[in-house]
Amino acid sequence: MKRQIPLMLVLVFGMFLIFQYFIPHETSEEVYEFLLDWITIIGIFAMALAIWSLFRVAVAKVRTRKENWGYSIFTLVGLFSMMIFGWTAPNGEGWGWYFVFVLSVLLSIGMLVQAMTVKSGRGLWAGLMLVFVIIAVLIGIFDNAWSFYFMSAEPLENPMFRSFFDFVLMPILATTFSLLAFFIASAAYRAFRARNLLATLLLVSALIVMLRFNPYLAPIFGDYMAKTSNWLMNVPNLAAQRAIVMGVGLGIVATALKVILGIERGYMGKG
Amino acid sequence: MKKTTFILMAIVSALFLLSWILKAGSLSGETDNYILQGFLVTFSAFLTLSVLSFLYADNPLYKFAEHLFVGVSAAFWMCMGFWTTIVQNLIPRLSDGLSKFFEQQPQPGDYNFFFFIPVILGIMLLMRLSPKGGWISRWPLAFIIGTTAGLNFVRYLRSDFIKQISNTFVPLLGTEWQGIGHFFSNLDLSASGQLVAIAANWVIFLGVFCGLIYFYFSKEHKGAFGAASKVGIWVLMLTFGASFGYTVMGRISLLVGRITFLFRDWLEIIS
Amino acid sequence: MVYKLTLTLLTFLLIAPVVSAQETVAASVEATVGDPPMIDSSLIPAPPSDIKAVDTDNDHGHSITVTWELSADDGSGMNNVLSYEVFRWVPFLMDELDTLRAELARVAAEIDSVGRLTSELKDERTVVRAAISDMADQMPEAHRMYPEGGEWRLLDKVVSGVATYENTGGKNREGSDYIPDFSDLYFRVEAVTIDSTIRAASGVAGPVQSFGQWFNTGRTAVFIAFMFFGIMTVFFVMKARRGSELYVRPLAGIEAVDEAIGRATEMGRPILYVLGLGTAADVATIASFTVLGRVAKQVAEYQTQLIVPTYDPIVMSVAQEVVKSSFSDAGRPEDYNEDIVYFVTQLQFAYVAAVNGTMLRELPATNIYMGKFFAESLLLAETGALAGSIQIAGTDEIAQIPFFIVACDFTLIGEELYAASAYLGREPILLGSLKAQDYAKAAVIVLATIGLIAAQFEWNWFIELFHVVD
Repeated sequence: MKRQIPLMLVLVFGMFLIFQYFIPHETSEEVYEFLLDWITIIGIFAMALAIWSLFRVAVAKVRTRKENWGYSIFTLVGLFSMMIFGWTAPNGEGWGWYFVFVLSVLLSIGMLVQAMTVKSGRGLWAGLMLVFVIIAVLIGIFDNAWSFYFMSAEPLENPMFRSFFDFVLMPILATTFSLLAFFIASAAYRAFRARNLLATLLLVSALIVMLRFNPYLAPIFGDYMAKTSNWLMNVPNLAAQRAIVMGVGLGIVATALKVILGIERGYMGKG
Repeated sequence: MKKTTFILMAIVSALFLLSWILKAGSLSGETDNYILQGFLVTFSAFLTLSVLSFLYADNPLYKFAEHLFVGVSAAFWMCMGFWTTIVQNLIPRLSDGLSKFFEQQPQPGDYNFFFFIPVILGIMLLMRLSPKGGWISRWPLAFIIGTTAGLNFVRYLRSDFIKQISNTFVPLLGTEWQGIGHFFSNLDLSASGQLVAIAANWVIFLGVFCGLIYFYFSKEHKGAFGAASKVGIWVLMLTFGASFGYTVMGRISLLVGRITFLFRDWLEIIS
Repeated sequence: MVYKLTLTLLTFLLIAPVVSAQETVAASVEATVGDPPMIDSSLIPAPPSDIKAVDTDNDHGHSITVTWELSADDGSGMNNVLSYEVFRWVPFLMDELDTLRAELARVAAEIDSVGRLTSELKDERTVVRAAISDMADQMPEAHRMYPEGGEWRLLDKVVSGVATYENTGGKNREGSDYIPDFSDLYFRVEAVTIDSTIRAASGVAGPVQSFGQWFNTGRTAVFIAFMFFGIMTVFFVMKARRGSELYVRPLAGIEAVDEAIGRATEMGRPILYVLGLGTAADVATIASFTVLGRVAKQVAEYQTQLIVPTYDPIVMSVAQEVVKSSFSDAGRPEDYNEDIVYFVTQLQFAYVAAVNGTMLRELPATNIYMGKFFAESLLLAETGALAGSIQIAGTDEIAQIPFFIVACDFTLIGEELYAASAYLGREPILLGSLKAQDYAKAAVIVLATIGLIAAQFEWNWFIELFHVVD
């Protein structure tokens, strides 16, 4: 039973979506649009599972004092601060006790983790946690400079939420992306050292295309470099892309069909 | 070892403070929040450099940036998912009462109770967290996989298979074939020349042919078949090289962007 | 009762001004028409003839295709036809419907300005919506009254030389372009000259009804391919099940997976399995799950450590399920813990930063990348190469394959990823479907060759067979 029903669901919905493609009728279109929306909605519930996993792994590292456990604290701090920013917003210009609130929430979570970790003296940490929880609750009740929002999207305008995005997420994101430039250099070096026919072919065609876009070297070779590079991009490239795309298409179609018919169950743990 | 770490930390903190003070000073004329702004810009530069330090080796600064990044980004996605999918998309379609409660604009169409189904499926997914109810979480997963398998099946059958086949239908003798005599009297290697165009068509056709042979799994690659397969992988490698070279040139510009940030927005050396 | 009464009253209140407005418009039209200008009858073009209106094929309804024979004076004869104007007979009830729609839009605007749905506004909206729905239900009846209670309305103009027009409307009753299904519609076309008063009208086409179809004939090619491929797959799977031996050529990348697990066990270091940035909606990810299942099973048998950082929440859930089942299949359910497969984050480069960190700290003996990869492919693969791990990759993203080829020891190119699951299992039924794939490839080569000849000799019927309506 536990395996049969999921397989039935896969078969029914898979077949429906296949036949839907051939049915232009209104009803079929409506059901199709519905199903696509459903997937997005289920995805959000899955997000809760994901956050739980992230939290548990980080806490486990701290508790077991695994190597580099200290850094996991920053993960937790980042996670919870951003979550608080995402559900609160200042009411006016001032911040009131907002940052004290954020700090006490973070500290109380820290104390909780600590209380779970230590072998003796749990009472002390639990007590401290209680103190911080009380401080947070009191500020939450009596401070009017900011409020919680669960129903309307004011927190998306919260300056702290935006600043964290602009000054924490963006720089790391952009820099990680720019690391690609260095990595591509080391990858190119690796390709240079490779000593077989296939790697040489790859390298030669890469060089031709790179030289064509190099403002200093391209003029030396004149028109030929541009022509060869264009030919490479338009002719063999097109052929290979087409062969790969057809192969991939067949692979996707075959795998999808096997999944729908229940022949391939690897995704359920049964290959 | 410990000692050097401490010294390094002290230097980094001192530089951080110095930059904060200087940055806040230079911003004091422009904005009221100059202390906070100065901190944020400095912090942002600090994170950029921390990530760049990864190029040298894994180090505490990188570990810090990485762990913070993970926590903040996970919470960021969760908040965005909550506000944009659940509150702005799902709630208004479920019922009037709920959208009133969430202060959301109701959708123009009718309410649809079918949208409770993905909610139920989402809750089934959350059952993973309970040790006994985990099996029921396979239902929503089966729903998603079945639906998308069906969707992909027809999509790729059309775009990657049938369309690609019909794309290979090009006249191998050119569109304006006027006989052998004409062909030989107009041997021209320019891009618009008949010879080049015809050669390109042949290369594309043979490339696709050999590429597909390379992906043949159930026949031994020996003899003529093996030769074709070998030509196939050569064409693939030429293509990969061209694509590699093309991307290399693109990535370099990303790095230039990041360096511009450090020198213009933070250090204000260039304008 | 009260509700019905309000409805009728409201409808009446809304309709009355419109009807009277109609009358005034009609009167004013009559007034201008009263003194017709002198028309030189020799300039009047020949009318468009043989007008036909049929339900548009392969759609969800709400659309009619009108065709006609060009006027004799379009492109020949006097050659003075500039355009054609297409008219449809529209019952006045349509205008009343428009008024109700305007009313609905007003209520919506009010809700917008109030910022929330008050109960009065909600009731008002319900009443208007019901009225619209009621009136839309009367549409077939109103159309049956032709030619009473309605008039000819200009739909659109098409330039001379064109003899077809598709009148496509919306399916939403509350939208202004709504065309009712199963209603008798009438069409007429006029050939217009440069002097718009000089024109010639065709006869009337109709009644014609629009309706949705249950099969899109424009997609027959896909349907045939689906049947062909489906039957072949089932056939070869059944054949394989009966026990006939199927040859598959060796794939270096797949054989490397087994060796890599052994190597990791010897070195006492973990295996890192990266499922990529795909969601469970990507078939590449589904293929990767199967490979993960195999790897996890062997890992459980050898008691090696496995690390699976994930990017997508649903992928995480499925991957946990896969690894858990594999561990119990290997007879070691007690070795499984939920932290083998964990979630990192759903931001591309944050994920990369974390996985890179893991590679340098945990120093896995083997990194396996299977699934969908984008710009991060090189960052991951290069870091892994620098850390000295054996790397095996497989993706169907063409742009990323070169990076994996350069930085990894083994790369499964495109379709090889999808073959991997069949290879690793060596189960006859999965290998059977590989055979179906190969036959499809042979079919491609044959069809492409015929297509080349067809293109050379311009056998367009053959090329048309592959035409698919989007």
